[in-house]
Amino acid sequence: MSEVKSYRKPYNPPVKKMTWWTENPFYIMYMVREGTAVLALFAVLEIVLGIFMIGLCSISPLTPAEAAAPYIWYLQNFLGNPLIILLNVVVLISQIYHAITWFSLMPKAVRVFMNKNSTELLPEWVVKSGLYAALAGTTVFILVVAFLTV
Amino acid sequence: MRQFLPTRSDEPMYWLMFGAGGMVASIVLPVIVLIMIIAGITSSDPTSCLLNFSQVTTIFSNWLLSLMVFGTVFLLTFYALHRMHHSSHDFGIHSKLTWYIAYGTAAAISFMSLGIQLLIYVKLF
Repeated sequence: MSEVKSYRKPYNPPVKKMTWWTENPFYIMYMVREGTAVLALFAVLEIVLGIFMIGLCSISPLTPAEAAAPYIWYLQNFLGNPLIILLNVVVLISQIYHAITWFSLMPKAVRVFMNKNSTELLPEWVVKSGLYAALAGTTVFILVVAFLTV
Repeated sequence: MRQFLPTRSDEPMYWLMFGAGGMVASIVLPVIVLIMIIAGITSSDPTSCLLNFSQVTTIFSNWLLSLMVFGTVFLLTFYALHRMHHSSHDFGIHSKLTWYIAYGTAAAISFMSLGIQLLIYVKLF
Protein backbone atom coordinates (compact mmCIF):
# COMPACT_ATOMS: atom_id res chain seq x y z
CA MET A 1 0.00 0.00 0.00
CA SER A 2 2.87 2.36 0.73
CA GLU A 3 3.86 2.71 -2.96
CA VAL A 4 0.45 4.17 -3.80
CA LYS A 5 1.03 7.85 -4.38
CA SER A 6 -1.73 10.21 -3.37
CA TYR A 7 -2.60 12.79 -6.01
CA ARG A 8 -4.98 14.58 -3.69
CA LYS A 9 -4.07 18.20 -3.12
CA PRO A 10 -6.55 19.64 -0.61
CA TYR A 11 -6.83 23.39 -0.41
CA ASN A 12 -6.15 24.55 3.14
CA PRO A 13 -7.09 28.22 3.42
CA PRO A 14 -4.71 30.18 5.63
CA VAL A 15 -6.08 31.08 9.06
CA LYS A 16 -4.71 34.54 9.79
CA LYS A 17 -6.11 34.94 13.28
CA MET A 18 -7.70 32.56 15.73
CA THR A 19 -10.62 34.91 16.51
CA TRP A 20 -12.07 35.01 12.98
CA TRP A 21 -15.32 33.52 14.25
CA THR A 22 -16.11 36.39 16.66
CA GLU A 23 -16.86 38.81 13.81
CA ASN A 24 -20.11 37.22 12.66
CA PRO A 25 -22.96 36.08 14.95
CA PHE A 26 -23.57 33.06 12.71
CA TYR A 27 -19.95 31.92 13.17
CA ILE A 28 -20.21 32.52 16.93
CA MET A 29 -23.22 30.19 17.12
CA TYR A 30 -21.30 27.68 14.97
CA MET A 31 -18.35 27.74 17.37
CA VAL A 32 -20.64 27.47 20.42
CA ARG A 33 -22.16 24.40 18.78
CA GLU A 34 -18.71 22.88 18.20
CA GLY A 35 -17.88 23.73 21.82
CA THR A 36 -20.79 21.63 23.12
CA ALA A 37 -18.71 18.58 22.12
CA VAL A 38 -16.06 19.58 24.70
CA LEU A 39 -18.74 19.75 27.42
CA ALA A 40 -20.15 16.39 26.26
CA LEU A 41 -16.65 14.95 26.71
CA PHE A 42 -16.60 16.43 30.23
CA ALA A 43 -19.89 14.68 31.03
CA VAL A 44 -18.48 11.38 29.70
CA LEU A 45 -15.38 11.78 31.87
CA GLU A 46 -17.66 12.32 34.90
CA ILE A 47 -19.45 9.04 34.10
CA VAL A 48 -16.13 7.20 33.60
CA LEU A 49 -14.83 8.59 36.92
CA GLY A 50 -17.94 7.22 38.61
CA ILE A 51 -17.39 3.80 37.00
CA PHE A 52 -13.73 3.91 38.11
CA MET A 53 -14.79 4.69 41.71
CA ILE A 54 -17.19 1.71 41.72
CA GLY A 55 -14.32 -0.38 40.35
CA LEU A 56 -12.20 0.74 43.32
CA CYS A 57 -15.04 -0.25 45.67
CA SER A 58 -15.39 -3.69 44.06
CA ILE A 59 -11.67 -4.62 44.38
CA SER A 60 -11.49 -3.34 47.96
CA PRO A 61 -10.60 -6.05 50.56
CA LEU A 62 -12.74 -4.29 53.20
CA THR A 63 -16.23 -5.35 54.26
CA PRO A 64 -19.03 -4.32 51.86
CA ALA A 65 -20.20 -1.54 54.21
CA GLU A 66 -16.76 0.09 54.34
CA ALA A 67 -15.81 -0.64 50.73
CA ALA A 68 -18.27 1.95 49.37
CA ALA A 69 -16.11 4.83 50.63
CA PRO A 70 -14.58 5.83 47.22
CA TYR A 71 -18.01 5.97 45.61
CA ILE A 72 -19.48 7.99 48.48
CA TRP A 73 -16.54 10.40 48.10
CA TYR A 74 -17.44 10.70 44.39
CA LEU A 75 -21.10 11.28 45.24
CA GLN A 76 -20.59 13.84 48.02
CA ASN A 77 -17.31 15.60 47.23
CA PHE A 78 -17.32 15.41 43.44
CA LEU A 79 -20.95 15.46 42.26
CA GLY A 80 -21.98 17.41 45.38
CA ASN A 81 -19.31 20.08 44.83
CA PRO A 82 -21.13 23.39 44.05
CA LEU A 83 -18.63 24.12 41.26
CA ILE A 84 -19.33 20.74 39.61
CA ILE A 85 -23.10 21.25 40.01
CA LEU A 86 -22.76 24.64 38.30
CA LEU A 87 -20.63 23.10 35.52
CA ASN A 88 -23.21 20.34 35.11
CA VAL A 89 -25.94 22.96 34.67
CA VAL A 90 -23.82 24.58 31.93
CA VAL A 91 -23.34 21.13 30.34
CA LEU A 92 -27.12 20.52 30.48
CA ILE A 93 -27.89 23.85 28.78
CA SER A 94 -25.23 23.24 26.13
CA GLN A 95 -26.58 19.75 25.40
CA ILE A 96 -30.11 21.10 25.02
CA TYR A 97 -28.73 23.70 22.57
CA HIS A 98 -26.96 20.89 20.74
CA ALA A 99 -30.18 18.84 20.67
CA ILE A 100 -32.17 21.74 19.18
CA THR A 101 -29.62 22.32 16.40
CA TRP A 102 -29.19 18.57 15.82
CA PHE A 103 -32.93 18.07 15.43
CA SER A 104 -33.27 20.99 13.05
CA LEU A 105 -30.52 19.67 10.75
CA MET A 106 -31.77 16.08 10.86
CA PRO A 107 -34.58 16.46 8.24
CA LYS A 108 -32.02 18.04 5.88
CA ALA A 109 -29.44 15.28 6.39
CA VAL A 110 -31.77 12.25 6.37
CA ARG A 111 -34.16 12.36 3.43
CA VAL A 112 -37.33 10.38 4.16
CA PHE A 113 -39.68 9.94 1.19
CA MET A 114 -43.47 9.95 1.50
CA ASN A 115 -43.86 6.75 -0.56
CA LYS A 116 -42.09 4.64 -3.18
CA ASN A 117 -43.73 6.23 -6.22
CA SER A 118 -42.97 9.89 -5.63
CA THR A 119 -40.00 12.09 -4.83
CA GLU A 120 -41.98 14.06 -2.29
CA LEU A 121 -40.28 14.27 1.07
CA LEU A 122 -41.85 13.86 4.48
CA PRO A 123 -42.55 17.34 5.88
CA GLU A 124 -39.77 18.65 8.13
CA TRP A 125 -42.05 19.14 11.11
CA VAL A 126 -42.95 15.42 11.18
CA VAL A 127 -39.29 14.34 11.51
CA LYS A 128 -38.55 17.13 13.99
CA SER A 129 -41.55 16.44 16.22
CA GLY A 130 -40.69 12.74 16.17
CA LEU A 131 -37.22 13.54 17.47
CA TYR A 132 -38.55 15.93 20.14
CA ALA A 133 -41.02 13.23 21.20
CA ALA A 134 -38.10 10.75 21.47
CA LEU A 135 -36.20 13.24 23.65
CA ALA A 136 -39.20 13.87 25.91
CA GLY A 137 -40.09 10.17 26.11
CA THR A 138 -36.53 9.11 26.97
CA THR A 139 -36.20 11.87 29.58
CA VAL A 140 -39.46 10.99 31.32
CA PHE A 141 -38.80 7.22 31.12
CA ILE A 142 -35.26 7.37 32.55
CA LEU A 143 -36.28 9.86 35.29
CA VAL A 144 -39.26 7.71 36.36
CA VAL A 145 -37.13 4.53 36.42
CA ALA A 146 -34.36 6.32 38.33
CA PHE A 147 -36.72 7.66 41.00
CA LEU A 148 -38.68 4.41 41.35
CA THR A 149 -35.57 2.26 41.87
CA VAL A 150 -33.90 4.49 44.48
CA MET B 1 0.45 3.91 -17.64
CA ARG B 2 0.79 4.67 -14.02
CA GLN B 3 -0.21 2.20 -11.40
CA PHE B 4 -3.14 3.59 -9.44
CA LEU B 5 -4.69 1.54 -6.68
CA PRO B 6 -7.37 3.49 -4.87
CA THR B 7 -7.53 2.75 -1.18
CA ARG B 8 -10.80 2.76 0.65
CA SER B 9 -11.37 5.62 3.04
CA ASP B 10 -11.93 4.86 6.70
CA GLU B 11 -14.01 8.02 7.19
CA PRO B 12 -17.49 6.37 6.94
CA MET B 13 -16.79 4.32 10.08
CA TYR B 14 -16.04 7.41 12.13
CA TRP B 15 -18.92 9.35 10.59
CA LEU B 16 -21.27 6.51 11.54
CA MET B 17 -20.08 6.67 15.16
CA PHE B 18 -20.30 10.47 15.04
CA GLY B 19 -23.90 10.33 13.82
CA ALA B 20 -24.92 7.76 16.41
CA GLY B 21 -23.08 9.66 19.14
CA GLY B 22 -24.78 12.92 18.15
CA MET B 23 -28.13 11.17 18.52
CA VAL B 24 -27.11 9.86 21.96
CA ALA B 25 -25.83 13.32 22.98
CA SER B 26 -29.11 14.99 22.05
CA ILE B 27 -31.57 12.34 23.32
CA VAL B 28 -29.95 10.54 26.29
CA LEU B 29 -27.22 12.86 27.58
CA PRO B 30 -29.50 15.70 28.88
CA VAL B 31 -31.31 13.35 31.24
CA ILE B 32 -28.03 11.72 32.38
CA VAL B 33 -26.61 15.15 33.26
CA LEU B 34 -29.90 16.10 34.97
CA ILE B 35 -29.71 12.95 37.11
CA MET B 36 -26.09 13.75 38.02
CA ILE B 37 -27.15 17.28 39.08
CA ILE B 38 -29.99 15.92 41.25
CA ALA B 39 -27.64 13.27 42.71
CA GLY B 40 -25.13 15.99 43.57
CA ILE B 41 -27.74 18.18 45.26
CA THR B 42 -29.28 15.36 47.32
CA SER B 43 -25.99 13.57 48.13
CA SER B 44 -25.93 14.63 51.82
CA ASP B 45 -27.71 11.34 52.54
CA PRO B 46 -25.67 8.81 50.49
CA THR B 47 -27.87 5.80 51.26
CA SER B 48 -31.19 7.06 49.88
CA CYS B 49 -30.28 9.72 47.29
CA LEU B 50 -30.44 9.29 43.54
CA LEU B 51 -27.50 7.19 42.20
CA ASN B 52 -26.82 5.71 45.64
CA PHE B 53 -24.37 2.82 45.93
CA SER B 54 -26.92 -0.01 45.84
CA GLN B 55 -28.75 1.49 42.84
CA VAL B 56 -25.52 1.85 40.89
CA THR B 57 -24.30 -1.66 41.73
CA THR B 58 -27.69 -2.94 40.50
CA ILE B 59 -26.98 -1.26 37.14
CA PHE B 60 -23.48 -2.72 36.83
CA SER B 61 -24.42 -6.22 37.98
CA ASN B 62 -26.86 -6.45 35.05
CA TRP B 63 -24.93 -7.22 31.84
CA LEU B 64 -27.49 -5.56 29.57
CA LEU B 65 -27.63 -2.29 31.52
CA SER B 66 -23.83 -2.31 31.84
CA LEU B 67 -23.48 -2.77 28.08
CA MET B 68 -25.91 0.11 27.53
CA VAL B 69 -23.75 2.35 29.73
CA PHE B 70 -20.68 1.24 27.75
CA GLY B 71 -22.46 1.99 24.45
CA THR B 72 -23.31 5.48 25.66
CA VAL B 73 -19.73 6.15 26.79
CA PHE B 74 -18.24 4.66 23.58
CA LEU B 75 -20.44 6.62 21.17
CA LEU B 76 -20.17 9.87 23.12
CA THR B 77 -16.37 9.82 23.35
CA PHE B 78 -16.01 9.10 19.63
CA TYR B 79 -18.62 11.76 18.82
CA ALA B 80 -16.99 14.45 20.98
CA LEU B 81 -13.42 13.77 19.87
CA HIS B 82 -14.42 13.44 16.18
CA ARG B 83 -15.99 16.86 16.43
CA MET B 84 -12.93 18.33 18.17
CA HIS B 85 -10.65 16.70 15.53
CA HIS B 86 -12.62 18.36 12.74
CA SER B 87 -12.84 21.70 14.59
CA SER B 88 -9.04 21.80 14.65
CA HIS B 89 -9.21 22.49 10.88
CA ASP B 90 -11.03 25.74 11.67
CA PHE B 91 -7.96 26.87 13.61
CA GLY B 92 -5.51 26.05 10.84
CA ILE B 93 -4.30 22.67 12.13
CA HIS B 94 -4.19 20.21 9.23
CA SER B 95 -1.87 17.65 10.74
CA LYS B 96 -2.60 13.92 10.77
CA LEU B 97 -1.53 14.00 14.42
CA THR B 98 -4.95 15.22 15.60
CA TRP B 99 -6.45 12.09 14.02
CA TYR B 100 -4.27 9.85 16.19
CA ILE B 101 -4.80 11.97 19.32
CA ALA B 102 -8.59 12.16 18.92
CA TYR B 103 -9.41 8.56 18.05
CA GLY B 104 -6.66 7.17 20.28
CA THR B 105 -8.02 9.07 23.30
CA ALA B 106 -11.57 8.01 22.46
CA ALA B 107 -10.59 4.33 22.17
CA ALA B 108 -8.52 4.53 25.38
CA ILE B 109 -11.31 6.13 27.45
CA SER B 110 -14.10 3.87 26.21
CA PHE B 111 -12.20 0.56 26.41
CA MET B 112 -10.79 1.44 29.83
CA SER B 113 -14.41 1.96 30.90
CA LEU B 114 -15.37 -1.43 29.41
CA GLY B 115 -12.51 -3.11 31.28
CA ILE B 116 -13.54 -1.63 34.62
CA GLN B 117 -17.17 -2.57 33.96
CA LEU B 118 -16.16 -6.18 33.23
CA LEU B 119 -14.18 -6.23 36.48
CA ILE B 120 -17.16 -4.88 38.46
CA TYR B 121 -19.47 -7.41 36.79
CA VAL B 122 -17.20 -10.36 37.54
CA LYS B 123 -16.77 -9.25 41.17
CA LEU B 124 -20.49 -8.70 41.75
CA PHE B 125 -21.70 -11.78 39.90
